[in-house]
Amino acid sequence: MSVAAFMFPLLFVLVLTGIPIAFSLIVVSAGAGLLAFGPHVFGQLYGSFYSAATNFILSAIPMFVLMGAILERSGIAERLFRVMQIWLGRLPGGLAVATIAMGAVFAAAAGVVGAVEVMIGMMAIPAMQRYRYKNSLIAGTICAGGSLGTMIPPSVIAVMYAALAQISVGELLAGMMLPGLLMIVLFIAYLIIQGMIDPPEPVDFVDDIATMSLREKLWVTLTSMLPICALIFAVLGSLLAGIASPTEAAAVGAVGALLLCILYGRFSLTMLRESLKITVRISAMILLIVAAGTMFMGTFAANGGSRLIRDAVEAAGFGNAGMIVFFLLIVLLLGFVLDWTANVLICVPLFAPFIRQAGIDPIWFGTMAIIVIQTSYLTPPMASSIFYLKSIAPPDMTYGQMCRGVVPFILLQLATLAIVALFPALATWLPSQIVGF
Amino acid sequence: WQVPTSVPEGSPFYVNFLERFADNVDLLTSGRVEIEPFGAGVLVPALQVYDGVRDGIIKAGHSTPSYLVNQDPINAIFAGFPGGMGPEAYITWIYEDGGKEALYDLRASEGFKSLIVGIGSSEIMAHSNVPIKTAADLKGLKYRTSGPWAEVMREYFGAVPTVVPPGEIYTLLQRKGVDLIEWGPPSANLPEGFHEAAKYIIVPGVHQPTFLWEVVLKQETWDAVDDDLKPLIEKAAEMTTMEGLIHFYSADVKAMETYRSGKNEIITLDPTFVTELSEAGVDWITKKAAAEKDAGKPAMDDLLTKYKAFEATWSAESKYLIRNQD
Amino acid sequence: MTRLFSIVDGFSLVLSRIADGVAIVLVTAMIFEVAARYLFSAPTIWAFDISYMCTGTLFILGAAYALREDAHVRIDFLAEKLPPRLRRTIEGVVFFLLLTPIFAGLSWFALQRTLRAWTSNEVEMVSPWAPVMWPFYGLLALGLVALTLQVAVQGLRAFLGHTHSSFDLEV
Ligand code: NA
Ligand code: NA
Repeated sequence: MSVAAFMFPLLFVLVLTGIPIAFSLIVVSAGAGLLAFGPHVFGQLYGSFYSAATNFILSAIPMFVLMGAILERSGIAERLFRVMQIWLGRLPGGLAVATIAMGAVFAAAAGVVGAVEVMIGMMAIPAMQRYRYKNSLIAGTICAGGSLGTMIPPSVIAVMYAALAQISVGELLAGMMLPGLLMIVLFIAYLIIQGMIDPPEPVDFVDDIATMSLREKLWVTLTSMLPICALIFAVLGSLLAGIASPTEAAAVGAVGALLLCILYGRFSLTMLRESLKITVRISAMILLIVAAGTMFMGTFAANGGSRLIRDAVEAAGFGNAGMIVFFLLIVLLLGFVLDWTANVLICVPLFAPFIRQAGIDPIWFGTMAIIVIQTSYLTPPMASSIFYLKSIAPPDMTYGQMCRGVVPFILLQLATLAIVALFPALATWLPSQIVGF
Repeated sequence: WQVPTSVPEGSPFYVNFLERFADNVDLLTSGRVEIEPFGAGVLVPALQVYDGVRDGIIKAGHSTPSYLVNQDPINAIFAGFPGGMGPEAYITWIYEDGGKEALYDLRASEGFKSLIVGIGSSEIMAHSNVPIKTAADLKGLKYRTSGPWAEVMREYFGAVPTVVPPGEIYTLLQRKGVDLIEWGPPSANLPEGFHEAAKYIIVPGVHQPTFLWEVVLKQETWDAVDDDLKPLIEKAAEMTTMEGLIHFYSADVKAMETYRSGKNEIITLDPTFVTELSEAGVDWITKKAAAEKDAGKPAMDDLLTKYKAFEATWSAESKYLIRNQD
Repeated sequence: MTRLFSIVDGFSLVLSRIADGVAIVLVTAMIFEVAARYLFSAPTIWAFDISYMCTGTLFILGAAYALREDAHVRIDFLAEKLPPRLRRTIEGVVFFLLLTPIFAGLSWFALQRTLRAWTSNEVEMVSPWAPVMWPFYGLLALGLVALTLQVAVQGLRAFLGHTHSSFDLEV
């Protein structure tokens, strides 16, 4: 029996006894690495750590976190949600809808999912709690909104997937566009219906909005919406116009947020120091998981993990439909424990040849695989989205509430998957229409 | 042997060089030596395959001398440099006229046993948002490239070499964040989709007329291999290089045909401009070799002299070859 | 013992303050690169290397202090139901007996790697800037050493039952 087969169970045990995820991954990797590399285990693990520490794409993470931390202190979150309350207050689930919309907008600005979630989370949690939304709904909304970074271009995951599967990045991004929009529509529809069935308790301080004059309302809206729109325009615009790469756009966002802060008169050295402190702490937490995941993947592969899966597929002898279901299931299961980088790194090279041989449309399959990766990002017990949320959540928000909160959104994502599976044209039509230049 | 490489699993270099080598070794040694290929970054960092072998983490690794040029410029001669020999002449020099021995000696001095596993065809000089026809067209353009060509472009043509990580090349090219990019030979660029991002395709690949990949092992590891297996593994490597190059030719012309039948405009540079570009490249490497010699390391200069001598003979006497070019 | 703990805590804190500064360098370098490329068509040859080096540095220099503040995500919904004594023992065994030697090994390798980069005057592989690499390797090694110490202290604290406001196993 292969060592690789024991790595996942061991990992589960460690994680469930409360050892931090990153350190659990490292313990298992070191054990498996010792068997595969003997005395050279530390060199090998160091190499994986080095790969993670030198990955340029990950540079976007600290900067998007910094952007979020500064925005949180700029007072823009309260202002923005006040505006949302003014205009969407009567709409059922208004703030939740606004959070999803912000998630979609920031997803279009950033390619890294965790950073988007942390940023909208920092803005939305205080505001939604003040308006007495249930913790589970807040958690689910933020996790789901944050996860959109996977499906909405630019998506680092899609770029990496396409590169590994040897398919066109442009076609894949175009293929994901309609399913991504469909997902947003489903989210918003659900939140409105949910808000009608089970509205949050009324709050007493909303009354001042009722007494506001239209003139005041418009003024608040203007002074809140204009700067944040300018910020989003700076990030998205610099990205779409090809002025900045996704990583550089993150820097533009951080500086833009700082300017906003100065504009609102909230800037101070203490505030900057606090933002930096949070940035370092959250980035260290996220990147240590990436580094540990890279170690895990390396030792898993070295112990025959990839071969194990390859042999299993060949032995099973699936038809096309069976093979698609089987592959997506593996992606989902690995997604329980691996971060997306490791998941894509392991799965794509394993599956791509089978998909090609079977004559399955690679864009269609790629789109579905990416939906599943986004779903596995939400699935408890080990959901990256919940880890990120926990790092910024107030103490009264429990793990159980978070797990309950993401369930409806997982179902909505699976619904999207089912629709794309039944109507492949959703993924394949747009790429066939797109003109590259 | 678990053999990692510097490119992701599924890339043409992985399939055409490393997987082919694994298959050939399996065939020739009747399964006595098993090579298990690994994609980039799984066992060791993508660019540190040589280090991984040196540190004993892996028994063997597959990579290209390109990554060693910054450390020791003599590697540029083996990696293929701007204005250097094309694949036909180069593979002949490598296998028949001293190239292979020179590379193997260099690696031996570093404690490695090298096996050439893969020689490539010429690359596409650029996928470009703007047409390039003369040297003046290059001035001030943002060009994603690296290595010696970046220096040649900056110093001799006033272009602006730009560093872009692999995953972001397509996006920046499509959004005109860079004006032009170079990546690999036609068949390797096709799956990357660059032809969908930019209209113009500039050939020939003066910047990278050919390239070389090798499998390296520690000398001790090689010495421990059964004597009857060594020649079989050597043969498998040689066979892989030959088959790999021919496969590239075949896939490349089909890729070019695909480009031509699509929306792209293929610009074949004027011979005088090609000469101008080549001479700049050769001037660059000649100066580099001279600088090395001044620094008390004459090896590069000696090797370059031999390389140029072979190239001169080839250029002068290869006109009898039928090339079937329009 | 307590004194030793606070020295290690202090060391981690100092490194994390340095990491704060590195974050500023990172943002500044990226903005400079965007402006240089877009406004002046003169991209730098160093921004790419600086950005990944900054990210790697700020991450590893911040990792030890993040552990001190218990910021590394754990899943505690099952663990909360274990008896505190058992939890502390598991925590102590994993951190002190397993992770401390692992991180010590990593640090040892990182130090050797730094030394080799220094003696061989190693430069970056593919960068046209080709910076010497030992300072970056050195910073990674420094961060790993601090993390090793903090991991050991984390384990010892669990054994000794020391808890403090940000590290509380008895939730
Ligand atoms: Na999950
Ligand atoms: Na190239």
